[in-house]
Amino acid sequence: MQNDTISYDTVNDRPLPKWLTDQKEGLITIQPQKIEIKEDNSLKISFIATITVILLTIGVLTVFILKKFKRKE
Amino acid sequence: MKQVYFKILVIAGFLSLACTTRVSEWVLLNALPNQYTLVFFHNGPPGENIKKQNQEITDRIKNANIRFKTADRKDIKEPYYGLYYEDRLFSKFSNPAEMKDLTTSPLREKVAAELMGGKICVMLYLKTGIREKDDRGMQTLKKSLDASPFGGIITVVELSRNSTEEAHFANMLLNVEDDLKTIREPMLFGVFGKFKALEPLLGKGITEENISLMIDYLTAECSCLIKDDLPGTDILFTDKWDNPRPALLNKIIDDNPLLGE
Repeated sequence: MQNDTISYDTVNDRPLPKWLTDQKEGLITIQPQKIEIKEDNSLKISFIATITVILLTIGVLTVFILKKFKRKE
Repeated sequence: MKQVYFKILVIAGFLSLACTTRVSEWVLLNALPNQYTLVFFHNGPPGENIKKQNQEITDRIKNANIRFKTADRKDIKEPYYGLYYEDRLFSKFSNPAEMKDLTTSPLREKVAAELMGGKICVMLYLKTGIREKDDRGMQTLKKSLDASPFGGIITVVELSRNSTEEAHFANMLLNVEDDLKTIREPMLFGVFGKFKALEPLLGKGITEENISLMIDYLTAECSCLIKDDLPGTDILFTDKWDNPRPALLNKIIDDNPLLGE
């Protein structure tokens, strides 16, 4: 606890005790958890992952089918 | 397996209790008072008489929140005793007679008995001796306590700053902040826990709103913010803090749950 008193001209200007100002501002009571809105990228990531999987599957299947047809010829 | 469930239940019970303990009760049960240091400053090796005298002082103060030290200093002419709280010098004494009743006094005994009896706090009104000012603050205090649901479990005691019987106590209170000795205004100290004095309301700051905020502070649920940064200064007193009575505050809150929010 800081006890060094801040300078002031008259007793009326004297700063209030810290415990009192904290109590006035509600800083001492248990604070509710602050909810911060964060950017949600999960949908974007899901789309990219799905498209990548589809393209890879198409690519692999195309190569597989083309090779099969070549062998038959 | 059943034992594991039982242990979890007990721990959860303790945790839930910890979260609902009020500031005044938590500080009384858990916060140890800070130590004072009484330093004997001397120039050169002390004689046998001085050693004996210091041993008597050590024996006299051993049950209080204070420790005794000696310091050899070349820059002093006369030996003296300095009373320190953390790094702040509260008083200087030139001989042991001036330290009579340093660690206890009738009013300190009374305040401690009230705290041990389960009261939220003791509101100590330090008077200036200027009747007009003293009466105005006291009227505001009485009005505030009459209006508060906790008024019945808060004790008010008065002390004159010029009291000779309680000179050490008044001096410690006037050292709670470093400018209080220069201010000739009545002061209201909230004393709680194991004799911890909050920084006071003084003069025109003794208002019903501020007194109500002091009560709110002491009756609030004890958060980690409070535990980590307890305000106030511990007053020097003999160590008699075993087995306090249950806090009277809890019954009032149990009967009127809205008061506890």
